[in-house]
Amino acid sequence: MLVLILNGLVYGSLLYILSVGLVLIFGLRRVTNFAHGGLFMVGAYVGYAAASLGGFWVGLAVSIGVLAVFGVVIDRAIFRPLTDRDPVNTILVTFGLLLVLEDGVRTLFGKDFLVLKPPVELSGMVSILGSPFPSYRLFVIGVAVVVAAVLALWLMKSRVGLHVRAASVDPVTTGIQGIDTEILGMMVVAIGTGLAGLAGVVAAPLMALSPSMGGFVLIDCFIVVVTGGLTSFTGAFVAALVIGQIHNLGVAYFPAFASLVPLLVMVVVLVLRPHGLAKEAH
Amino acid sequence: MASSPSLASPESGGPSRLAGGIGGMLAVAAVLVVAGFSLPVVISSMLVLTLLTQATLQALLAISVGFLFRQNGLTSFGQAGWFGLAAYTVAVNGRFGWVAPETAVVAALVVPTVLAALLGTVIVRLPHLAFSMLTLAVAQAVHEVFLKWRTLANGDDGIEVRLPKRLFGLDIALFQQPQTMVVIVWIALVLVVVALLFFARSHTGLLTRAIRDNEERARYIGYETLLPRVVVYAVSALVAAIAGVLFSLYNGFVTPGLLHWSLSGEALIMAFIGGPRVIWGPVLGAGLFFLLKDFAGDHTEHWPAIIGGILMIVTILLPEGLAGLAQRVGRRLWSRRAA
Repeated sequence: MLVLILNGLVYGSLLYILSVGLVLIFGLRRVTNFAHGGLFMVGAYVGYAAASLGGFWVGLAVSIGVLAVFGVVIDRAIFRPLTDRDPVNTILVTFGLLLVLEDGVRTLFGKDFLVLKPPVELSGMVSILGSPFPSYRLFVIGVAVVVAAVLALWLMKSRVGLHVRAASVDPVTTGIQGIDTEILGMMVVAIGTGLAGLAGVVAAPLMALSPSMGGFVLIDCFIVVVTGGLTSFTGAFVAALVIGQIHNLGVAYFPAFASLVPLLVMVVVLVLRPHGLAKEAH
Repeated sequence: MASSPSLASPESGGPSRLAGGIGGMLAVAAVLVVAGFSLPVVISSMLVLTLLTQATLQALLAISVGFLFRQNGLTSFGQAGWFGLAAYTVAVNGRFGWVAPETAVVAALVVPTVLAALLGTVIVRLPHLAFSMLTLAVAQAVHEVFLKWRTLANGDDGIEVRLPKRLFGLDIALFQQPQTMVVIVWIALVLVVVALLFFARSHTGLLTRAIRDNEERARYIGYETLLPRVVVYAVSALVAAIAGVLFSLYNGFVTPGLLHWSLSGEALIMAFIGGPRVIWGPVLGAGLFFLLKDFAGDHTEHWPAIIGGILMIVTILLPEGLAGLAQRVGRRLWSRRAA
């Protein structure tokens, strides 16, 4: 039971790292990145390629860097030009991008499953209250905690973080105050996609790498983001932990309906609170 | 609640054009139905007839996406869920023989419609992007259920659709041979388009477009704004279910792939390349999609990247789709001739 809950926490951690990227991007750009799962997948493959040259940690660093740069490109080429259009435009363009990314990775790496091993120092087991648990999984939880803490500090304590929060509430007024919201938006998108790269590499040792690996994680992320209230970081954090937990319990106890359980939770939350878990409505 | 003419949205050309068009529209529909009967006579190639049948079924699915966007301004990423659910309803009933096949066909249309209506009361209220995300999530959840509940649906292997010799008094072979099925799906497509056009002109149709453009104002005038949008979502599920039922009869075999998001994605691509603001836009999109896919299939393995690239380019450069472009060009030529 303890191991089950811990595993739920591991999945929730991954969901959080991905979802918070979606929330960041949505906050500043008011778009949903349907390619986010694709970026997660690309992140895993970039990490795999770099890790085969320099080991796991190099893979992790390279993947975050490459995906952050890619985020800047996506922001310049797609998000910014389409901000004034109907949201359907970004849905379609990022969906197109997803297809291109999947096909590109399939061409470069092939269809077969690839395996990225966890680093040696984390490949052992630790004992938690007498139950053995892979230390790598504990590391994944730790990464999510660090990401959450750093993001919270950055957003709440730093000057730039204040600007980001202001711009996500009202970009026009923030701009009038003399803050370059375009640079801010670009930076936030880069952080969001960089986090997708981080999540991809961190998740890689837990699941096999395939060009379609992003799809099912992305769907749970969407449920997290909507349940959390679209723009709320705390909402995403709580929702990711809850959905991760419920998902895993569902897989263990009702395998055929595992995918329905998170949805039911979301429906209940939305019926009770139409704007999600977050307090204020936008 | 009398229908107010000011509710008509600008791109439809205003109510006066709406009223005058019904006779012409029905005439065009009649011609198209007759043309449908001539399809198997004119086209002798079995391959072309098969492709045409598939394209028409996909066009129905694409129309369900386009209609939802046209009326509600919402983008569904999960229409394959309703399509596959309908197809599986027919197939699963054939497997267990719970009710008569005719009843199963009716149930296959009713169940997705009712489920969509119930779900709609929750998700139609959400912002556009959240709605899209959730349609995807719901359809994938249904997909998982049919994939993993092996005693019901036999998992990845799919199930054969067992059908009686006659369905609704019609020989079952009519549904299973491309040279007759092409006529049936074609007529179904024409009827669905006509029905949706009538819906668009009805009070609910006009009201939903008003809500699409400004929900707050519509509510201010005193309209209840949730229910009409739920109706639109349910109707779009019904159209997808019609396609699903026809598919199960035609194909005689169903697999979880019918519920997969990639099929929803294809329908979305067809609808938006074609241009959902025009009712026949998704049909144009489906036709082009099949032509391109057939052509690309012979030359390259990179079809997903090609269609993904096309989708990106069309969305950025031609946000109203090809049908929108055609309509604009047509209008310009028309006005020049009139002047």
